[in-house]
Amino acid sequence: MSHDLDYEQAHLVKMANQIASNVPNRDDIAGQVANHLRTFWTPVMRADIIEIARSHPQELAAQVHDALDRLQTVEA
Amino acid sequence: MTVLDDRVDDQRDLGTPAVQSETIVTVHIDGVPVQVPEGTSVMRAAALSGTAVPKLCATDNLAAFGSCRLCLVEIDGKPGTPASCTTPCSEGMSVHTQTPRLDKLRKGVMELYISDHPLDCLTCPANGDCELQDMAGVVGLRDVRYGMEGENHLDAPKDESNPYFTFDESKCIACSRCVRACSEVQGTFALTIAGRGFGSKVSASDGVPFLDSECVSCGACVQACPTATLQEKTVIDLGVPTRKVKTTCAYCGVGCSFVAELRGDELVRMVPDKTGGANEGHSCVKGRFAWGYAGHEDRVTSPMIRDSIDDDWKVVDWDEAIAFAAGKLTAIQEQYGVDSIGGITSSRCTNEEVYVVQKMVRAAFGTNNVDTCARVCHSPTGYGLKQTFGTSAGTQDFKSVEKADVIMVIGANPTDAHPVFASRMKRRLREGAELIVVDPRTIDLVRSTHIEASHHLQLRPGTNVAIVNAMGHVVATEGWIDRDFVQERCDLASFQAWEEFIRLPENSPEALEEATGVPADQVRAAARAYATSPNAAIYYGLGVTEHSQGSTMVMAMANLAMATGNIGREGVGVNPLRGQNNVQGSCDMGSFPHEFSGYRHVSDDTVREQFEALWGTEMRADPGMRIPNMLDAATVGEFKGIYIQGEDIAQSDPNTEHVAAALRAMDCVIVQDLFINETAKFAHVFLPGTSFLEKDGTFTNAERRINRVRPVMPSRTGMAEWEVTCALAKAMGYEMDYATSSQIMDEIAAVTPTFSGVSFDLLDKVGSVQWPCNEQAPLGTPVMHVDRFVRGEGQFITTPYVPTDERSTRKFPLLLTTGRILSQYNVGAQTRRTNNVVWHAEDVLDIHEADAQTRGIADGDWVEVSSRVGVTRLRARISDDIPAGVVYTTFHHPVSGTNVITTDNSDWATNCPEYKVTAVEVRPSAQVPA
Repeated sequence: MSHDLDYEQAHLVKMANQIASNVPNRDDIAGQVANHLRTFWTPVMRADIIEIARSHPQELAAQVHDALDRLQTVEA
Repeated sequence: MTVLDDRVDDQRDLGTPAVQSETIVTVHIDGVPVQVPEGTSVMRAAALSGTAVPKLCATDNLAAFGSCRLCLVEIDGKPGTPASCTTPCSEGMSVHTQTPRLDKLRKGVMELYISDHPLDCLTCPANGDCELQDMAGVVGLRDVRYGMEGENHLDAPKDESNPYFTFDESKCIACSRCVRACSEVQGTFALTIAGRGFGSKVSASDGVPFLDSECVSCGACVQACPTATLQEKTVIDLGVPTRKVKTTCAYCGVGCSFVAELRGDELVRMVPDKTGGANEGHSCVKGRFAWGYAGHEDRVTSPMIRDSIDDDWKVVDWDEAIAFAAGKLTAIQEQYGVDSIGGITSSRCTNEEVYVVQKMVRAAFGTNNVDTCARVCHSPTGYGLKQTFGTSAGTQDFKSVEKADVIMVIGANPTDAHPVFASRMKRRLREGAELIVVDPRTIDLVRSTHIEASHHLQLRPGTNVAIVNAMGHVVATEGWIDRDFVQERCDLASFQAWEEFIRLPENSPEALEEATGVPADQVRAAARAYATSPNAAIYYGLGVTEHSQGSTMVMAMANLAMATGNIGREGVGVNPLRGQNNVQGSCDMGSFPHEFSGYRHVSDDTVREQFEALWGTEMRADPGMRIPNMLDAATVGEFKGIYIQGEDIAQSDPNTEHVAAALRAMDCVIVQDLFINETAKFAHVFLPGTSFLEKDGTFTNAERRINRVRPVMPSRTGMAEWEVTCALAKAMGYEMDYATSSQIMDEIAAVTPTFSGVSFDLLDKVGSVQWPCNEQAPLGTPVMHVDRFVRGEGQFITTPYVPTDERSTRKFPLLLTTGRILSQYNVGAQTRRTNNVVWHAEDVLDIHEADAQTRGIADGDWVEVSSRVGVTRLRARISDDIPAGVVYTTFHHPVSGTNVITTDNSDWATNCPEYKVTAVEVRPSAQVPA
C-alpha cells in the first residue's frame, strides 16, 4: 500500500477492497460493492474513495473501480 | 420508588415442578376439588388449592425427592401415609393433609430434626426467613423428647471461604436440596452428600472449602437451602430484607429477572425471579452476587469538566456541565461542520436511554453519526440475519432448547459467558440431546460432568466459513436437503444458486481440511448429525461474529438451517448469544448510523418523514459514520467531538494506540459512565451515569425479550441518564421533553412497528414480551418465522470462504484469540469492583505446552506478547484447552492491554473487529509489569 495515503485513506482502501473480495454474488461484484457503499458509507467517505481512485488507482481492485464508476453514474 | 410486594407473591413455592399432560384429573384435597394435569404431585395440587402441606426437602424447581417425611398425607383407599411430593394425582383421589395421625408423625419427624439443630433462632441470620423454623411452628412443635445432649453436629466448622456466602454445617438438616440444585438446576455437580447415616454431610467436591471446589457460585444451593446453612453474607451482615422490587440483571445477554430484596434503600440480596422468562429462577455468580460495584468507592456521582485532558477535573453542578458540553459541541460544529461530531450508545443502558441518545444525535446534532458498542460484537448478526431471514434478531426463545435434539455451539462458551442459558442447555444435553462444538478451544461443554460433545470440530481460528460451507456441502451432496421446506418457504432462485455453489468440490470437507485443520470425516459426521436430527439448533457467539468474515458466517449458518428445515418451530433456529444485557435493544433502538429504530434505512423516505413529523426537524437521508470511521476521521482532524454513553472504547476497541490517538485529537470528548474509565482519561466532560439499580426502563435480551428494569434505589447522581441527554439536547437548541421513561417507550412504540404493542403497563401486567409485539402478536413472539420469514421467503446467499489477511508468519507464528470468563464481564469495569476478583485477579495467556516448551516458557512466567501493532505482557498458563499454534487470553483488566495487540482488521460488511484472530509471537519477558 502506498505510503502517500494517511491512516483514514489507507483504511478506506482496505475496506473497499475487502468488500469486493467478500460480496456473495461473484457474478456482479461491482454492483454489490456500489450498493454496499451507498447503503453503509457516508457521502464524505464515498467522495474520499472516489478521490483515492483517481489519485492512487493502483490501490483499488478493478471491481472497486467499476463500482465507483457506477456510483458516480447513479449519483450524477 | 416502585414497590412490588404484591407482584412477587408469585414467588411462592408449590413444592414440586409443574407437569405437562393433556389429561386433566380431578382430586379432592381436604374435600376441596382441584383439577390438575395428570401426574402432578399431591403436594403441588394441594398448594394450588391453597393448602400448604408441610415440607422441607421439596421445592418446586427440583424433582421430588421424598426424604424429609414431613409431607406425609393420607389418601382414601390407599394404605399408609405416602409422601405427597412423590405421589402423583390420579382421577378421583381423595387426600387428607391434616389428621391426628399425620400431626403425630410430623411432630415426631420435627423432633428428630431439631434434636440436631442449634437453638439459636433469635440470633440466626435466617430468623424469620427459615423453613425449618416455619415448619416447627406449622407442626406445633413444643418440646423435643430426645433432648439436645445426644450425638450431634453442633460443633461442625463453618466454611466462610466463598466471598458471597457461608456454609454452616451445624445448621444442615441433610435435605439434599443444595446438592440437587447444583446438579439439576446448575448442572455443575460440585456438591454431594458424603458419608452415610448419621455421618451424612454436604460436601463441596472432595471435602474441600467451597472456594477451592468446582462450585461456580451460581447461588442455586443458597436459594434452595431451607435453613441458614448456606446463607448470603450480606444477609448475615445486614439482616433479613423487608421489601422487594423486581428488575433485570445488567450483565450478559441472557437478561435474567431478579427480585431485589432490600432493607429501606439498602440492597441486601438479589434473588433470581421464578417467573422470569429468561432464567426461570436461576442465576449466575455475576447477577446473583456481583452487584456491589454500584456502591463502590470509585463511583463518580458528580459531573466534572476540564478544558484540556492535561488539566485536573473540576467538579461542577449539572447546569454548568451541560452548558459546558453544549458550548463545546456547538463551537466545534460552527468551526468544522455539522458532521464533525457524533455519539456512541451503550448496550449496558436501557432502551429508553439509548433511544434518546440516538435521537439527540440525529435531531439535536443534526447528523447520523451515531453508532453503538454492538459494532464491536454482534453487528454481523444484524447484517446476516436481516439478509437471509429479514430481521436482525435470533429466531427462538431460550426455552426452545428443551426441544432440540442436536445442539450445535459455534464460537461460544456459554458456561462462562451465558451461564444461566448454559444450565438450561446442559439439562437438555443430560436428557440425551447430541452436542456439536465448533471451536478452536476445548471449552467446558466439550467434556464436563455427564456431558460430552459427540463432535468437536477444533478448527483453526479464522476458518469458520470454511467449516460451515463444508457442512453445507455434505448436506447438499449426501441428500439431506429438506426440499419440502425449501420449496414452500424459501426463494428458489437463491436456493438454486446456493446449491450450485455449495456442491462445488472446493467446498468439500476434504478440500477444506488443510485450511480448517479439521479431518474431513469429522466434518461429515457432524453435518450428518445436524441434518438428520428431528430438531437441530445453532447457538453462536462472538467466535462467529468477530472475524473478517463474521457476516458471511452468519449467513452461512442461516443457509444451513434453511436447507435442513431447521427454522420456524421450537427446538431449532439460529440463535446469537449476545454479549451484553441490551445489545439486542440498543440495535433495535436505531443506534446504527444507517438505520432508524426497527432497522429501517435512513434513505427510506416514508420512514424518514415519519420521524421528521414527530421530531419536528429534518433528517439526513445518508448514513453516518461508524465508530471506526469516526476514529479514523478524528486522527486526520475531521471529527472533533463525541458523546460516549457507557462504553470504554479505549479498553474495549481494537488497536488501543489508534483509539487513544483519535480520542486525543478531539476537542470535546464527553463520557457518561459510572467510573473514570480508560476512555474518560481522554475526556473533557464526565457525566456521571446510573447503575442498573437506579434505572427505570427496559432491557431487551438475546431472545428479543423486553424486560422491565425498575429502580431499586434513587439515582445517586440526582438525575436519570435520559434526563441528562435531554438536557444536553435542549442546551443545543433542540427540545426533548419527557416526564417519565414510560413516555419514551410510548414514543418508541409509536415509531417502531415491531414495538407498537409495548408499554410499561403491558410489561407490568404480563412480565415480559418478545418482539414483534404488535396488533398481530399482542403478547409477543417467542419463535420467529413460523409460517413465513419476516422478509417473505428465506433468502439463500452464497458464502465463498475468503481467508483472513491476518495469518501466522515467521515473525508472528501464533494466532491469538480472545474471550471472557465466568466471573468477569467484558472490560471488567463492574466485576473488577466486586469480590469476583478472587477468581480472576489478572488476565493470563493460555499457551499450549509444545509452544511454551519451544520458547522456554514455564507455567506462571511473565511473557511478552507482540503483534504487528503492539506489545503487551501477561503471565503464561500452560493449558491443553487450546491446540498448539493458538494462544488465548481475556480482556477484563486494563493493565493487561489485550487490545494493544489486536489489529484494525474487521468484518468486511460491518467493520466488527477481528478480535478472534491476531498473529502474535510470545517470548519470555525480562520485564514484569508494575
